[in-house]
Amino acid sequence: MFLVTELVTLLATNLILTQALGTSTLFIAAGNRKNLLWTAITITVFTSVGSGAAYTVNRLLPNGLADLTLLFYTLIVGAIYVLFLAVLYYTDFASFATARKYVHISAFNCAVMGTLFTITERAEAYPELNTFVRFVLSGAEAGTGFILAAFILTAAYRKLNSAKVPASFRGFPAMLVYLGLISMAVYALR
Amino acid sequence: MKNKKTAVFDGLLGDNTVLSALMVISPVIMCGSTLMNAVALMYAFSAITFFSVLIGSFVPKRLPYAAKIIIRAVIASIVYIPVRTVAREFFPDVITRVGIYFPLLAVNSLIVVQSETKFARMKRGTMIASLVFYILGFDAVMAVTAFVRELLAYGTINGRLVDADTLISGLGLPFGGFIFLGLLCGLYRKVRSVIRRENSETGGDGNVSGN
Repeated sequence: MFLVTELVTLLATNLILTQALGTSTLFIAAGNRKNLLWTAITITVFTSVGSGAAYTVNRLLPNGLADLTLLFYTLIVGAIYVLFLAVLYYTDFASFATARKYVHISAFNCAVMGTLFTITERAEAYPELNTFVRFVLSGAEAGTGFILAAFILTAAYRKLNSAKVPASFRGFPAMLVYLGLISMAVYALR
Repeated sequence: MKNKKTAVFDGLLGDNTVLSALMVISPVIMCGSTLMNAVALMYAFSAITFFSVLIGSFVPKRLPYAAKIIIRAVIASIVYIPVRTVAREFFPDVITRVGIYFPLLAVNSLIVVQSETKFARMKRGTMIASLVFYILGFDAVMAVTAFVRELLAYGTINGRLVDADTLISGLGLPFGGFIFLGLLCGLYRKVRSVIRRENSETGGDGNVSGN
């Protein structure tokens, strides 16, 4: 029962299904299951680490300079991106050559940036969420939500791309309508 | 083979930012439900993307790929600051309503991905012309989506009540945005394939194919 409740919560707070954040990235990666999994995992790393860093930026940035938030978040994501590539370079050089062209898609996108802004917005509304640990946990939760949405899309991917679907609606359009229906169900859950 | 002149116009129809590549769809789905939101987002997207890609085109090509991506994202974040200041003057209510989707326009795929894979390979003059049409492509989809969704969901056009008998309130919600955009995307592909077929039958250059 606990797992079901958690799953429902994860669906109801899912950033893709409720706020359409990271949908483009999801579609870019959807063509290949292995790609999709790695993109989702990389996004989870970025949202978790990025949220922790965003908490620090929020604490240090004076209120009058709120317009600079995006710039600082971009610098945070840029730093994590370089760090991620460096770790990949020194641990798995074979994957580095392939991955370096794709990691930026997982780094600079609405899923990651949107998560940082959404968590900050929530923390402003509910002060009890304004702690470092809550930020990191919320970031991890958003990333897990992305993995869940990726799983939901993968489950129907073959059917949505099959010859039974009219040519004009095959692929992206069918996937959008499909996500819309899932989003409608999630809306009912909320 | 597509000639250069027609390729410049691809962004408007043949290779539309939203409908062909499904880029920058979050703001269209979440905020493209009223014309007022749409106008503010069209202004922000156009200004941020144009100036970011233009300034980003001066980034040295010999830099590592990762560095170029970060620099372009940083440029967009800096361009965002004056754009937001101006928007606060002209669209104060919309800025609040649009919320996080306003800054998110600065990390759109056209700036981060396409600028390196597409625009960086063009001469500056061609790049500017092509960029303008890619931006217009987004603006057109945003305007059409917002017009139809506002009319059908709320029975208004730019906030003014019209005589609409049937309202589909779900169209104003995120799931309505997903479904509407999916249908629009399918319609766009159908039109594009018909034009492409006609072009090939009449011996045209097939410039609407895009990809």
